[in-house]
Amino acid sequence: MAEHEEHAVSYKLYFKTWVWLLVLTALALGLGYAPINERLKAFLLVCTTLAKILVIASIFMHLRYERMNLVLLTFVPLILAIILFSFTFPETLGTATHVLRVR
Amino acid sequence: MDSSLAAEQQRILASNWGGGKSPFGTSWSKFMMWIFIISDALTFAAFLIAYGFMRSISPEWPKQTQVFNMVLITFMTFVLISSSAVMAMAVGAARAANPKLAFRFLMLTIVGGLMFLGCQAFEWSHLIEEGARLTHNPWGVPQFSASFFVITGFHGFHVLSGVTILLIVAIRTAMGKYSADQVENAGLYWHFVDVVWVFVFAFYYLL
Repeated sequence: MAEHEEHAVSYKLYFKTWVWLLVLTALALGLGYAPINERLKAFLLVCTTLAKILVIASIFMHLRYERMNLVLLTFVPLILAIILFSFTFPETLGTATHVLRVR
Repeated sequence: MDSSLAAEQQRILASNWGGGKSPFGTSWSKFMMWIFIISDALTFAAFLIAYGFMRSISPEWPKQTQVFNMVLITFMTFVLISSSAVMAMAVGAARAANPKLAFRFLMLTIVGGLMFLGCQAFEWSHLIEEGARLTHNPWGVPQFSASFFVITGFHGFHVLSGVTILLIVAIRTAMGKYSADQVENAGLYWHFVDVVWVFVFAFYYLL
């Protein structure tokens, strides 16, 4: 519990974090409308999203005050999502036999 | 030999992984909340990966900006991020043993959650009126509306559960029965709902 007293109340920090999150949201929104290559857009959107969740997790969810054990545990869904993606996405490339039809 | 083995066992038991100490350094309730959040995140990860798969095998995908009211979606994102920031302040106030302030911040968070749900109900009813269903929609492949209803529906239900939890915590705070841990656990869940929306906003609405 002593740990919690160290980072008593930091409304200012939360306010700053909020502003940063809004900036990142505006950036993502701009990317959504930007007339750029789809792949580059996807990559940049992944980057802004990861930046946002890192900010939320470390400051709002106090992960930066937690033990490394707990922090590492929270990466499990992200790693499994990457595995799932790398297993399913190649299926959609090349001569896919299961292309959806419109109605 | 035996004594060194016993000493080794002693060392292991006293270490972080021996069970002698709390390996994660949190209260049990907070740890359980984290375990729940991780398993819930896996559900959403599966949804989003499945959505990505369906989208890649579709010959074409409707332009989201032509189907959705992006001003409303951006407003919803703004509301959810703001409520998350206010929730962090509620946890701070609860930790600083200021239940009155914590209650006010909690109520603000709840208002944010209700506003989000209202916008979502508006969006859903609008799209359903236009003919979008789980099985078909007027804009293209059926998977477009199917993934929309399933993903945003699941997320919306999480927001509703979050509002319920926050209401209970707010009432308990007003009654003076609150504990800072309780407020923090509810806060963790609320931030998680925000995190999921960040993903949905980027990958469903903007990509």
